[in-house]
Amino acid sequence: MTATKKGLYRKEPLDYILLVLLSLILILILYPFYNAVLISIVPQNDYVRAPLMLWPSRVESTNYKFVFDSPVLLRSMATSAVMMVVGAIYNMLLTVLFAYAMTRPIPGRNFFRFIMVFTMYFGGGLIPYYLLIKALGLLDNFWSMVLPTVISVTYMLIISNSMNSVPSELTESAAMDGAGEIRILFQIMLPLLLPILATFTLYYAVERWNEWYSAMLFIKSVDKWPLQYALRKIISDANFISTQAVTGEYRPPTYGEGIKMACIVVTVFPLMAVYPFLQRYFLTGLTAGAVKG
Amino acid sequence: MFGDSRVLSPLKMYPFLSAEWRKLFIKLVWQYKWIYLFMVAPALSLVILFRYLPMPGIMLSFETFKPSFGKSGLYSFLFSSDWVGLKHFQRMFVEPDFWRAFGNTIIISIMKLAIGFPFPIVLSLMINEVRVKGYKRVMQTVYTFPHFLSWVVVAGIALNFFGDSGVVKKVSVLFRPELANSWNFLYNAHIFRGFLVALDIWKEAGWGTILYLAAIAGVDQSLYEAAIMDGCGRLKRVWYITLPSIAGMIIILFILNIGGIMNANFDQVFNLYNAPVFSVGDVIDTYIYRLSFQSTTVMDFGFSTAVGSLKTIINFALLIFANAAARKMGYDGIM
Repeated sequence: MTATKKGLYRKEPLDYILLVLLSLILILILYPFYNAVLISIVPQNDYVRAPLMLWPSRVESTNYKFVFDSPVLLRSMATSAVMMVVGAIYNMLLTVLFAYAMTRPIPGRNFFRFIMVFTMYFGGGLIPYYLLIKALGLLDNFWSMVLPTVISVTYMLIISNSMNSVPSELTESAAMDGAGEIRILFQIMLPLLLPILATFTLYYAVERWNEWYSAMLFIKSVDKWPLQYALRKIISDANFISTQAVTGEYRPPTYGEGIKMACIVVTVFPLMAVYPFLQRYFLTGLTAGAVKG
Repeated sequence: MFGDSRVLSPLKMYPFLSAEWRKLFIKLVWQYKWIYLFMVAPALSLVILFRYLPMPGIMLSFETFKPSFGKSGLYSFLFSSDWVGLKHFQRMFVEPDFWRAFGNTIIISIMKLAIGFPFPIVLSLMINEVRVKGYKRVMQTVYTFPHFLSWVVVAGIALNFFGDSGVVKKVSVLFRPELANSWNFLYNAHIFRGFLVALDIWKEAGWGTILYLAAIAGVDQSLYEAAIMDGCGRLKRVWYITLPSIAGMIIILFILNIGGIMNANFDQVFNLYNAPVFSVGDVIDTYIYRLSFQSTTVMDFGFSTAVGSLKTIINFALLIFANAAARKMGYDGIM
């Protein structure tokens, strides 16, 4: 019996096979990132000439200088940062308020919930949405990337569920003492749900940071681009150009691979820097809603 | 008369007609006025503005779009456009590009389902068998990380990795030098779908293990102890205990995935495809986008709205079906 207790097992061949396989997958995921960093710091000629470079031959910072000297990229970083903070607060505030309302016995509650859930199944489609944004005068406006996100219904339902699991004695006794609904929400509910709030705030922040689609649809001015859209322009315009190069038509100057990879590293860096430390919060969102008991 | 229970009084059938009920209703609404005002109204009005107000625009499917110059108003385009009835839908059925996109969407989705779906299951069974705790954590951190990247970033890395100066070419050339001058991995229609599926697995398989691992963690440990007493090896324990314990979740996630079969991931395809692979890679969403905003001929908002509406309707039916089926299996997550 004792042999089966944790820590007191014999290592079987299976254990080694598993570790090797899983480590291979680990490398498969990490290597492209490593390679991207590598390309961004070595001189491009060195990289192109090397049969396969696993270690930087020389380190230079020209690509990063280009990125941080480019007014377009700098401004797009600022735009994305603002969008992330403002957007996450906007989404989270609306989500928490609505989620709390769905835990109270207000008349019409099921109807309101249905209105929200229905949007997960049905929508107006691309053109009607575009024409709405146009009619609202939001074309080429920063807010066209933030305001329409409103809330994620899934997150709202999960938060609402976890609010329901807070013991009602806590909220009732507070109500007895004369606390209003808003006070109960912010002083009793939310402090009890901090981990799950952290999770969904992070999700919203990542979603806003990753925004590029609305920018492609609505934003024409270069100075309002978010970072991901600027990155897309740099990557896929070059991709488009090399498509034409295949047909041999014309080849205008393109961004070098080094600059592209430097942009990617700069875009990924904020997430990569916080991810290992906040991993607990990143990983609990799905299971908080889907697995009960 | 009113004592007769067989006759339903109008008040019993429609309680909101009664004065008392209305009084109670108003009283409750007044009691919760701050909730309505500060908690329900903001999100609800914004959802109605950004999700519901576009819906009448679907009528554009039956019209040929003409911009409403000078006229303001939310739906002025509906009145300035010409009514053409089902013309767009008729055109759709003889439009080869539409059928190509329709077919590609379903083929790519089914490929992702058939090849990509089992990956997280196998991966989570493997991770669960790892007995080194610290390493398990490191693995989970790395495996789940790509999920949080945008497809712009992942496509950017992939286009370089598989591209003309990429690692894959360099390694291939080491073994087959003749590839050096004919490398066209990214523009190859034979490869593109498999490429999409593989990248999807790379990005999402690790994230997909989270739910399974949570379900596995909930398995009663005494089952394993009993199995060890009965002389079961590890593979047998995985096969007879761990796998059956997540079977329900596998089936539910599979059904929910079928519900999304019309969504072949716009973000992914749009950031990776190019003209030479349109024949195998153009999906409904990218087709609609190009029709609407990148069309080389006349922009036809009416036609692309019609394509979008058809997709929405099929999608809606699939989702309702998938959710009903998943609910029958005992899933009560969303809706």
